Amino acid sequence: MRRARRLSRREFTALVAAGAATAARPVVAGRRQASLTVEDVIERIRANIGVPWNGETVDTLKAGDPAMRVTGIVTTALPTLAVLRQAAEAGANLVIASQPAFYSRADARTPPAGRGAGPGGRGAGAAPPAPDPIFDAKNAFVDGRQMAIFRLSDHWQARRPDPFAAAFASTCGWTADWRDDIARCDIAPVTLRELATEVKRRLGVRGGVRVVGRPDERITSVALLPGSTPIQASVAAMAQADVIVAGEVREWESTEYVRDAVHAGHGKGLVLVGRIVSEEPGMRALADWLAPLVDGVAVRHISAGDPYWRPA
Amino acid sequence: MTAGDVIARIRENLGTTWRDAGYRDTFKFGRPTTQVRGIATTAFVTLDVIERAAAAGLNMIIPHEVTYWNDRDDQSIVEGDPVYRRKIDLMREHDIVVFRIHDHMHVQRPDFTYVGSARAIGLDPSTETAPGSHRFVVPETTLGELAAHVQRHSGARAIRVVGDPAARVSRIHLGVGYATPPVRADDVDVVISGEQQEGDGAFDSPAYVIDAAAVGVPKGWIVLGHVVSEEPGMLEMAEWIRGFVTEVPVEFVPAHEPFWVPE
Repeated sequence: MRRARRLSRREFTALVAAGAATAARPVVAGRRQASLTVEDVIERIRANIGVPWNGETVDTLKAGDPAMRVTGIVTTALPTLAVLRQAAEAGANLVIASQPAFYSRADARTPPAGRGAGPGGRGAGAAPPAPDPIFDAKNAFVDGRQMAIFRLSDHWQARRPDPFAAAFASTCGWTADWRDDIARCDIAPVTLRELATEVKRRLGVRGGVRVVGRPDERITSVALLPGSTPIQASVAAMAQADVIVAGEVREWESTEYVRDAVHAGHGKGLVLVGRIVSEEPGMRALADWLAPLVDGVAVRHISAGDPYWRPA
Repeated sequence: MTAGDVIARIRENLGTTWRDAGYRDTFKFGRPTTQVRGIATTAFVTLDVIERAAAAGLNMIIPHEVTYWNDRDDQSIVEGDPVYRRKIDLMREHDIVVFRIHDHMHVQRPDFTYVGSARAIGLDPSTETAPGSHRFVVPETTLGELAAHVQRHSGARAIRVVGDPAARVSRIHLGVGYATPPVRADDVDVVISGEQQEGDGAFDSPAYVIDAAAVGVPKGWIVLGHVVSEEPGMLEMAEWIRGFVTEVPVEFVPAHEPFWVPE
């Protein structure tokens, strides 16, 4: 089964590029407020993000009252229950994440229709979704601690240079040089094995790193594709660097393309770190960007960590 | 015999109606009139598979997956690329003909992708709740022990697991390729599947399983990788084709797991 991929970051950028305006100076509302509401913070983000706000976007409030006063802000790649708990303990009540809070692109606070109740099943209007202990626990925590969750993905990655790629590069100790909208880094020569080990260490990955290519191959340049990458971007990136370091790809696309590129001598490898892990540096950068815009409200980043581990 | 003859025999023996409307199960290189000297089944038509098939005297390749690195095998996406040109030249040089069998393989009974996957990861067929249910109830174990068993049996290098390793589990739902069953079903403890997008999907298994672990609900997801999940069944596919194609050799030529993992 395959589903249509979402709008790629390049397509999204193309959509908004025509009217893109860069805010040279932070746009802060004329009147300094004693405290900010969730809505105020979102408005500050929209006013300063530097790209036109698109009507069709996942960047919306997923939970919480927009009129609530913000006591502190946490940025993260994935708003897990563990991240929400840490945020609450730190006194923050607004979490800004690049990935969904409620386990799907739809990001609804109720589970999708249960087995048999969806298309081809009992049909709409049948039994309500069965209770789900995980949705229940997350909703209870969000409501009980009066938290708000805002997703910021489409517009943050539409900025140029792409903050996800730029922050990924600096986390690895590299400097990105932009060519055809691809972040390319020249690096001190290492083997592919050494590169993968170093990326794993720098990003704090537990188990999720997977590599295609010959371990002893000498590497002097990498192209960075954090997030989710379609084949077209991998083909373009492989032409620019020895190795692609990416979040996630479709395996029948980029994984097999790079395997063949290595065999043909047109590339040296692919390092996959996982989509969530790959977006964490960009969300840490968001905390730094947002801090000057929110009138002294504390902004910090909390990593969701690597979802994966390896069998013993 | 010609490649067209081979496909005609596959259609006759499939046991279900052939649907011509699909874009997947078609010729990807070569023609129906190409003379077949031998048949190779595999997951992917990699450059390496083409070379090994040709060296073994096999010039018809029947993959489950794509040739040109996208689901529609749309060559316009890659036609300017040197890797694409190398693949075309290599196939031409060895008089290769490629026909993909994907949709019909999943409609066939049994679906060999599931049979091969269960065999490769050591799931005992007698623990399947009903033939073709893809549900297995095994003696209660931990997610960590189950994952170790799967890794040992498959010999795969890059299996990834989400969930609490100590979670007590017994009810497994097996998926193949990109068809990952919903991990939130209340009668499923563990989903074992090939590949699924990590976030922003119709249902995001990693995030759900992480939160399940946080509230103590035993859930797990074992991610095999696309090749580890679906390639084993191409062995069963080769055996099945051998039953009605006796004129030429039919061999399983695996593409193998593409990944390794760093220390």
